[in-house]
Amino acid sequence: MTLKKSIFRTLKENKFQYAGVIVLLVLAVMLYISLSMAITTLEERNKHFASDYKQESFHFITGKKLSYDQLSAWEDKFDITLEQRTYKDLSLDETTLRLFSKTEQVNIPYVAEGTVPEEEGEIAISRVYAERNGYHVGDKIDIGSLKAEVTGFVYLPDYIYMVSQLTDLLSDAEKFGIGIASEETLQQLKTSGQSQILGWSKNDVLPKGLREVVESETTLLQYVEAGDNPRIQFVESEIDGAKTMTTTLPLFILALSITMVLMLMKRRLDMQRKEIGTLMALGYRKGELLRHYLGYAWIIGLTGTIVGILAGAGLSIPLSNIYANYFNLPALSMFEFEPFVLVIGLVIPLSLLILLTALVINQSLKAEPLTLLRPKEMAGGKKSWLENLPLMNRGGFIHRYRLRLLVRSKTRSLYIFLGVMFSTILLLFGFITFNSMDQVVEKTYEDILTYEYGVYYKSLKTEKVAGEASPFIMNEIKVKGEDTKITAYGMEKDTPYIQLLSDGKPLNTKLSEGAVLSAPLAAVLGVEGGEELTLEIGNDDTITVKVAGVSDLYIGNTIYLPRSQLNDFLNYPQDAYTGVWQTEEPVESDDIYRIEDKQKAMESFESTSGATRASVLGMSVFAVIIGLIVLTLLTNLIVEENSPSISLFKVMGYYDSEVSKLVLNVYTPIVFLSYFVSIPIAGLSLEQTMNSVVEETGFILPTDVSWWMVLLGFVVIMLTYWLSLTLSKRKLKQVSLQDALKKQQD
Amino acid sequence: MMIFTDKVTKTYQSGEVTIYALKQASIEIPVSKIVAILGPSGSGKSTLLNVIGGIDRYDSGSIQVNNGTLENLKDRQLTEYRRNNVGFIFQQYNLIPTLTVKENVEVGQELSENPLEMEDILQKVGMWDKKDKFPYQLSGGEQQRVAIARALIKNPRLLLCDEPTGALDEETGKNILKLLKFVNDHYGTTILIVTHNQGIGDMAHMAIRMSSGEIVESSHNETPLDPEKVTWS
Ligand SMILES: Nc1ncnc2c1ncn2[C@@H]1O[C@H](COP(=O)(O)OP(=O)(O)O)[C@@H](O)[C@H]1O
Ligand SMILES: [Mg+2]
Repeated sequence: MTLKKSIFRTLKENKFQYAGVIVLLVLAVMLYISLSMAITTLEERNKHFASDYKQESFHFITGKKLSYDQLSAWEDKFDITLEQRTYKDLSLDETTLRLFSKTEQVNIPYVAEGTVPEEEGEIAISRVYAERNGYHVGDKIDIGSLKAEVTGFVYLPDYIYMVSQLTDLLSDAEKFGIGIASEETLQQLKTSGQSQILGWSKNDVLPKGLREVVESETTLLQYVEAGDNPRIQFVESEIDGAKTMTTTLPLFILALSITMVLMLMKRRLDMQRKEIGTLMALGYRKGELLRHYLGYAWIIGLTGTIVGILAGAGLSIPLSNIYANYFNLPALSMFEFEPFVLVIGLVIPLSLLILLTALVINQSLKAEPLTLLRPKEMAGGKKSWLENLPLMNRGGFIHRYRLRLLVRSKTRSLYIFLGVMFSTILLLFGFITFNSMDQVVEKTYEDILTYEYGVYYKSLKTEKVAGEASPFIMNEIKVKGEDTKITAYGMEKDTPYIQLLSDGKPLNTKLSEGAVLSAPLAAVLGVEGGEELTLEIGNDDTITVKVAGVSDLYIGNTIYLPRSQLNDFLNYPQDAYTGVWQTEEPVESDDIYRIEDKQKAMESFESTSGATRASVLGMSVFAVIIGLIVLTLLTNLIVEENSPSISLFKVMGYYDSEVSKLVLNVYTPIVFLSYFVSIPIAGLSLEQTMNSVVEETGFILPTDVSWWMVLLGFVVIMLTYWLSLTLSKRKLKQVSLQDALKKQQD
Repeated sequence: MMIFTDKVTKTYQSGEVTIYALKQASIEIPVSKIVAILGPSGSGKSTLLNVIGGIDRYDSGSIQVNNGTLENLKDRQLTEYRRNNVGFIFQQYNLIPTLTVKENVEVGQELSENPLEMEDILQKVGMWDKKDKFPYQLSGGEQQRVAIARALIKNPRLLLCDEPTGALDEETGKNILKLLKFVNDHYGTTILIVTHNQGIGDMAHMAIRMSSGEIVESSHNETPLDPEKVTWS
């Protein structure tokens, strides 16, 4: 059909706008696809690593070495696989390298680079540990009684999150790493070793009664199920958190972008009314015309989504490798995707686009051809009721004309309003998330938690604390009727080491009125200051406290109470404490259970939340770019839609500056209005999004809109608006008046 | 193709006032003749043309084409009627700006099962040399020739022209009229020309005069003038 040619030429003629629309779609789809594919890939890698490399279902340590026969008897009885593994903790410089014997049936090691150590004197070590400590494949390192050659980098399915002790909270690859070697190599080392039994069962069904049987035969020192093993579990929950964050936000951006694409498509099709009318008068059937004009939607939709998906899939490969580094997982597969992702990335945008375009076209097709042949303003040129207001009839011609244009083209004004709104939301979205990633760490660890070390004792203490340290009591509690695990701190109101703040105002003194909550906890529980909470500890004791405030503490589910109150609740003596906060580095001693080093906690947060942080940063950049594209397209459209009047006024002898005042600047107040209306909407919608994911991520991004964002956003919006107006005006100037009039015959 | 209109009425409501665009208009259009519809602006000429061409509906009365009546036709059937029988020429040409001369004519050609020859028709309207030009590269008269070719190529029985020379100067306008006359002679197409140019009435076989939606006079002209001799106003 000859008409087909007109589609391509129209696309080419308005290439700026159509390309813009396509780019918009590509970016949004790409962002969503790349992030969700990357995280799916990671999830799959974790799953495959666990299943293909036989991640343990449990492991245990016994007092005495067990015989081979003993193990196979249990294997048969419980239908499980058991394998013994030995390991030795070696001290290298300041670090600990835990060297395991190679296993073949459970927790099978995966060697990523280089080879599996076969010979005596060969080892493979964890990549992060190697990187942090400057070891390379091929290096010979002194591991006590022998020099071992590093033959490769190894991953172990039960040490995905590398912590030395099960009770350790933080992984620190600088200090602790793992490696594998042959049994012979291990025997060469003089260090004393440990032996453990690794258990694997089909589908992770835990063998019932095994523990009791083992206990009855020998002394059982430790029995850990995979579900309680942070080395295995931690990654899963981190992936869950990252997944929620990296799919929710882009979905939001995608939804906004699709709406914008639909809007722009509708405007463009509206401009083709006359052509539709002509073709109808010529005798084209509605079905033929519908199919023809849907061509635009197909081309834009297919190009946008397919390019977006391909680019997204491509981008997901490096992304998942970055993620894999954060999560310490081997790169088992290139990329994986859920069919569901394709539905959101392709089927939904495409069908929405086709459907809505069909609707718009149908709307035109329903009209009589004659109606379409008339210019729209005339066809729908009803006088607006607003024009009867006395306000409308005052002032000079220019003033009245502008007002009239504004009220008569209500839909156009609405489009501009919505378009600016979307751009503003996306812009602020970008600014806020960009800004808040730093705020999370800064406010939490620098402004609020002002201690350097937290010392946790093994038992309750009552003696006076030494020096400048400040005592606290800590306990796990729950809110009645909720599952969330909460850490409660009983603290001194006047401690210098915790400065509970809310919007910069101190909250410590408010502790006499009730409890102060961390922001994630408040979001998870959905409570605000002034409400009451009923807390309970393990037994059925409960206490009801008033929420005195929510602090800008963005990480963790914590609640702060006066120490005496918490002691009361826990039935501890008034002056009891379980730990102290201080700035001096504490000396290790027997009664200390754990030392929390704030700097380490900060680094650890930065690395474990790294995947999420990196994605959020990427997203904010995307949001700003998409916002700018939307705004530019919109302004361009305004100029184009008004070009007939522009040419007309110019023909009549108006100066260019007068024309732009007359026609284009009409919309400036709408841009202003929309911008300021959108700011609170942007803040609120982002806050809602954050609150909905806080349970998975465990931290919250502050969504406060600061004045610099408002200002910067305003400058950016106005600048873009002004710039694209100027560009478009220049384009109009270049067109000769005759041509302009000839082209826009209406 | 026989066309009768019988007491066709169409009104527009403007606030309290009812405007009669057509008021009880009855007329018989002779086959294979040129008919001029004359009258001052706003007298209902275009409305009459549009209802006959099936791009506008009327409130009451009847229009008979061959043996059917237009008021009973569904949208789809009206489309078929236009597709198979009617060619439109507008004052504003309404060419598709992104298509070349030849392609614009093709858009009309593809509608017909036995269309005329492309080269033949473009030669006849004198646009063959410019067949690859785009509308914006043409003068008004040239654009109107393309529009005529587009309407003619499907070989319609009825050619409806709304102010075809309204935007053109005398010389160009007369060339268009000559072309229309040639089409009428050559293909036997019934041609309705809406115009406020009184002179054009003299070249038609029949002239209808309208005023305020009513047909006030219709006269037959046994000896139509050559378009060249028409007095231009
Ligand atoms: N869409 C419309 N809405 C309101 N009035 C209309 C519309 N179309 C035509 N009219 C009125 O109908 C009358 C006849 O119009 P028209 O047939 O276009 O006149 P002519 O072609 O003779 O200039 C005029 O008074 C015109 O104002
Ligand atoms: Mg008219």
